[in-house]
Amino acid sequence: MRLTLNKQSNVKVKKRKESSVLTPWLFLLPALLMISVFYIYPILQAFMWSVQDYKIIAGEGAFVGLDNFRYIFQDSLFWRALTNSLLFLVVVLPLNVFLPIIVASAVNQKVKGIGLFRVIYYSPVVTPMVVAALMWRMLYVESGFVGNLVHFLGLYDRPTNLLMQTSTALFAVTVITVWKGLGYYMMIYLAGLQSISDEVYEAASIDGASPIQKFFKITVPMLAPSITLVSIMTIINGLKVFEEIALTTGGGPAGATTTLVIYIFDKFRNLEVSTASAAGIVLLVLAATGSVIQLKLNSGKEKDLKG
Amino acid sequence: MKMTKNKILLYLLIIFFVFVTVGPFVFTLLMSLKGPAEGVYTNIFPRDPSLDNYFIAFRQARFDEYLINTVIAVLIAVPLNILFCSLAAYPLARMDFKGKNVILITIIATMAVPFQLFMAPLFNLVGNMGLRNSYIGLIVLQVGTAFGIFLIRQSYLTIPKALEESAYMDGANKFQVWFRIILPMIKPTLITLGIYTFTFTWGDYLWPLINTTDNEMYTLSIGLAQLSQSFDGSNIKLISAASLLTTIPSLAIFIWLQKYFVGTTKGAVKG
Repeated sequence: MRLTLNKQSNVKVKKRKESSVLTPWLFLLPALLMISVFYIYPILQAFMWSVQDYKIIAGEGAFVGLDNFRYIFQDSLFWRALTNSLLFLVVVLPLNVFLPIIVASAVNQKVKGIGLFRVIYYSPVVTPMVVAALMWRMLYVESGFVGNLVHFLGLYDRPTNLLMQTSTALFAVTVITVWKGLGYYMMIYLAGLQSISDEVYEAASIDGASPIQKFFKITVPMLAPSITLVSIMTIINGLKVFEEIALTTGGGPAGATTTLVIYIFDKFRNLEVSTASAAGIVLLVLAATGSVIQLKLNSGKEKDLKG
Repeated sequence: MKMTKNKILLYLLIIFFVFVTVGPFVFTLLMSLKGPAEGVYTNIFPRDPSLDNYFIAFRQARFDEYLINTVIAVLIAVPLNILFCSLAAYPLARMDFKGKNVILITIIATMAVPFQLFMAPLFNLVGNMGLRNSYIGLIVLQVGTAFGIFLIRQSYLTIPKALEESAYMDGANKFQVWFRIILPMIKPTLITLGIYTFTFTWGDYLWPLINTTDNEMYTLSIGLAQLSQSFDGSNIKLISAASLLTTIPSLAIFIWLQKYFVGTTKGAVKG
């Protein structure tokens, strides 16, 4: 219809057609400007700095090749940080993938007042991360709830702060991350669950399947696309975790919770921006690799499912 | 009989997760209500509940100023982000033009880059632009976000094209169609993006921390983190009160607008 309209040798229409080359760019301009200036430009600069010995105060740096990478790869604290980041993901990934499925399945039932529970479960998501970190830190202290709970459960002889133990600190931190993200990932799964028709469950019920069987044989496989999404988000977000460590353990005790991000932040604070940039690139590579692997794995799984 | 057993299990599960989610808030609330004379951990419930800690947070710990700073940052970020994203998403959903795919891929790529990679260059840049310790400086990453563009684009794609076609026939231009016909149709998505932008900006910590050197420009998150530097004795009661003060506005906005809060991942997850 529009084509015929434009073909008429009407001056007004012609004028609009000429301007239409620019139109999409006018719409894009404000956001593209912000993204270019405050994301793309500094990102490119970080790549530059990683192969320079950039001095932020002098505002200059000479090309040093891969020296910064050589430096971090010889730094034992960097390896510690890398290991901790990966360990953190190994703990968080299964929890982030499966706990929210359980919660989402529970609130997807037709039960009175379920809307209220969804709001309750979502409340940690809108809670500032600083607050989440501090609330949990209060629970973890020896005299706090968790500090006493581990004693009560017989895990420790006396009330113990798990954040202060080298062996448990990283695990204690993951609890905060999982708690904060539960509601967010629940929403993603809820959207996925709503695309599974009731008939599938009804058919399974007729065949005598138990709720547990239905969960593992129907819900989990049908949610494969959502699981991919949650896994990728967990990898990307999990590698960036900062507040729950900086405000609880500060990377301690004895480097037990020093992740890559804490390592980068410490380098940045010492104005070693080129080292920080090199470590930042390692972080980016990890996030990208993790996401690609996850995508590959799951596209295989989804194909199996579709037969 | 079997049905009821399953129902009971379901309720137990729901209630267990309610405890896990709400528990930390309850402990923090009880802690914040303890008076100055009370021991911090001697008892769980405050013997003589008082709001003293909240008044101290406002009057002495300067949380009144931090609150105002945070509100200003949010008032700039939320409308601008909604405007910029809803503009940028339109041609990406509806127009064919050279370079569209490049733009789409670039925007996706920036989403995957961890902030910590470019925080040093950004710190440098924002300083050079004279935006250190400024409200605009606080929100540069929250306006025109890739996330927002994709969220809104997804929503535009669900609108039937026929609506726009008839408007074009009536002689409306692209901006008029976008503003009068398309925007009103995606109000829930706009509100959803508003909530997201609000919570991101409200709770943002690392960037405001490094870009704010002047404590008159502190946001609630930085003020709270600063307060928690001494994490002992009766300061814990004050931290608790300040924590809740920091959370309540964010929680209130979410509860107020949650009926508009759409499943943002719908469509994005389709297999």
